[in-house]
Amino acid sequence: MTQLIFNLFNGVIIGAFYALMALGLSLILNLSGVINFAHGGFLALGAYLAYSLMPHIGFWGALVAAPLLTGLLGIAIEWLLIRRTYGRDPLYSLLLTFGLAFIFEDVSRYIWGAQSVPYQIPALLSRPLSLSYFFITGYRVFMVALVALAVAALYLLLTRTRIGIRIRAGTHDLATVATLGVNVRLLRSVNFGLGVYLAGLAGVLAAGQLGLQPTIGTSLIMPSFVAIIVGGLGSLPGTLLGGILIGVASGITSVYFASATEAVIYVMMALVLLVRPRGLLGEEGRLQ
Amino acid sequence: MKALEAQGLQTYYGKSHILDSVTLEVGEGEVVALLGRNGAGKTTTLRSIVGLTPPRLGSVRIFGEAVTGWPPYRIAALGVGYVPEGRRIFGNLTLDENLLVPVARPGPWTIERVYQLFPRLSERRENKGRQLSGGEQEMLAIARALLLNPRLLLLDEPSQGLAPLIVQDVFKIIGAMRAEGISVLLVEQNVRAAVAVADRAYVLDDGRIVYEGAAAALGADEARVRTLAGASAEKWEAVD
Repeated sequence: MTQLIFNLFNGVIIGAFYALMALGLSLILNLSGVINFAHGGFLALGAYLAYSLMPHIGFWGALVAAPLLTGLLGIAIEWLLIRRTYGRDPLYSLLLTFGLAFIFEDVSRYIWGAQSVPYQIPALLSRPLSLSYFFITGYRVFMVALVALAVAALYLLLTRTRIGIRIRAGTHDLATVATLGVNVRLLRSVNFGLGVYLAGLAGVLAAGQLGLQPTIGTSLIMPSFVAIIVGGLGSLPGTLLGGILIGVASGITSVYFASATEAVIYVMMALVLLVRPRGLLGEEGRLQ
Repeated sequence: MKALEAQGLQTYYGKSHILDSVTLEVGEGEVVALLGRNGAGKTTTLRSIVGLTPPRLGSVRIFGEAVTGWPPYRIAALGVGYVPEGRRIFGNLTLDENLLVPVARPGPWTIERVYQLFPRLSERRENKGRQLSGGEQEMLAIARALLLNPRLLLLDEPSQGLAPLIVQDVFKIIGAMRAEGISVLLVEQNVRAAVAVADRAYVLDDGRIVYEGAAAALGADEARVRTLAGASAEKWEAVD
């Protein structure tokens, strides 16, 4: 029983990471039509930046600064490279971001080494909250709370601010948004930065749980794509739901059939697509 | 100064040549109709003007400013409101949210005032765009363009697919725009209604301007109106 709760809880945590990653991927995919394979690279970068900043500004400072810096770097890369692929064959952006992912991983290895680095989380957060459920550490609860906070902030941004409303409108019909006086080039840059910020935040949090090595992003990116497809293309609530569902599914599977832990998410995707090709909350016709 | 001067527009979609040397102008405060059969290039003309499908050759001046090659948002910022074919409202947003998308320019049109102009819309502020009727969607598309406080308004088939009573409302609004001093370029299939509201008219055929003159003269040319309008001429007569 304890083990089931343990794995269920782990599933929620890992699902929260998938969801945070997938939300960023989804934002970028929906507005710019780019499948950002470099997203895992941005996640790793956020984590390493936090690692390097921590001795100077502490964990809490790094938690604020590292995702912001990652987001700014994302905007720079979008402006320099990625926007040149807009409106072209999707193959260009796939190749570009795929290449960027490799570059990020190798640069991380070059700067910070191929081995895991010691990533310190505050002692305050590493204590278990209860003796019988020793695995519920403050850090794990903190991570879930922070992901929930980030999702709530994203929701408010997208529904209560003009820029967020324009991002949602652009997802639907970007050309019409442009004819209403909105600088869509800038909108896409900001949106890309926002998506990458979420990846950076996921990285800062994930490193404290999973350890930090150059491949940290690679293990999270495929499940995040699966989360988007399970939740349904074009739907951010769907993406969130998809992320948590596949996290929990792999958590539960690890109790009863440990070797299928990774396979189960793909099985889930196949089942969802068979029953409901547009995903759980996806818009009709989005894939056409 | 003219509100709009388009000179020798040559516009392509990929390799297909759609506009062949289209030249037209709209004077300040003037309502101009752009007529022609389906596929004549009316929508492409508007898209060339607003920057969505920039012409390969030719020039566009708006209030004296040479805007050829400008991105759509900069053209909109000059005060060009565009009501696209099929309305293209944001179905995933509420009506209120739809009205927050435009980058509002200062002027008499505010969200309050467009809700006064379209009381039907103010009753449905929380509804999603896709839940609105065709007529409400058309009103919303016009309201959205008005928030730019346009000096030039481009309307692409605003009466398409609407019930006759709603069509009359739409044309009343176009008349009201003229009273506000807004210059209007109106693309319409509904030839009789269009020539009734317009000062001048152009007829496009196969990407070329084949008629240019006073709207009243075109309206009096019964044979021409019939060929232009095809089936829709009968429909309009039935309404009267």
